[in-house]
Amino acid sequence: MDEPKIEIAVNEGSFRSKHRFLLLIALSILIASTLVLISMAMYNGSGAAQLDLSRPGYKEVRAQAITNDSDFKNYSSTGPINQDTISEFKTLFAQQAEKTKSVDAFGGDPLNPDALGISVPSEQ
Amino acid sequence: MKKSTRLLIVCLMFATVLSGISLMGVAAQSATMTDQQIELIRSNCVSAKNTLNQLHASDALLRVNRGQIYESMSTKLMDRFNNRASTNGFGNTDLVAVTKSYGLMLDTFRLEYIGYEKQLALAISIDCPNQPVEFYDAVLSARTKRNQVNVDVVKLNQHIDQYQSAVNQFEKDYQVSVERLKQ
Repeated sequence: MDEPKIEIAVNEGSFRSKHRFLLLIALSILIASTLVLISMAMYNGSGAAQLDLSRPGYKEVRAQAITNDSDFKNYSSTGPINQDTISEFKTLFAQQAEKTKSVDAFGGDPLNPDALGISVPSEQ
Repeated sequence: MKKSTRLLIVCLMFATVLSGISLMGVAAQSATMTDQQIELIRSNCVSAKNTLNQLHASDALLRVNRGQIYESMSTKLMDRFNNRASTNGFGNTDLVAVTKSYGLMLDTFRLEYIGYEKQLALAISIDCPNQPVEFYDAVLSARTKRNQVNVDVVKLNQHIDQYQSAVNQFEKDYQVSVERLKQ
């Protein structure tokens, strides 16, 4: 005697419910990649990349960066104005101005093709 | 003729014209360089690239250190003196004007340096043995941009001088007002 077959209804469900974990991982990677792209664009566009001496290629000069500017004295923004305080400011400003102007930053012409040896006088 | 076919033909013609114009530009650049010069660039470009790499690093250091000093001139001295003069009721219009102009110049310096650094990095990244003309043009462009950064530095220094003159004038005005009070 045959026993009655019991059919169990399999709830196939949607694709989303079946692959929830995979979707979570994929979505997380997508969001992380988008955020990385945005942050890299900001890093490159804002000028931070140009100041970042921790990048490869700057190893030799990294140690020479000024990390302590304690010799650059702050002038107090509060207090009276009199001849002494004006003179004090003038001395402080003159000292720093002298230091600032003493270096001919980005002067010279190191990118001159002659200096780089990639230029020859054209034939007449 | 179908409308879509006509549109396709117009697009193709437009693309051909654009390609022609761009090729003419390249040809014009190459025409100014002799074969001898191209060969010289090709043979010296590796040593030139080494120099560019060193310059790239030393200029980055210069930018960091100089930028810090120029920033401090404004935040640690100018702004503070302006505030002090203002809170004490002294006219500081000239001082503020020079400080504002200095700040704008500092922004220009930062922007111009970004442009220069990007151009120099581009020149370094060019495969110079295979693209000597592009390499040469990129170096020339970087040279122009570096000169512009130098001009900005000179202008910043001029602003510092102007601020010093403004402080001297402020001192004179202060002395005049003190004399008036005494009388």
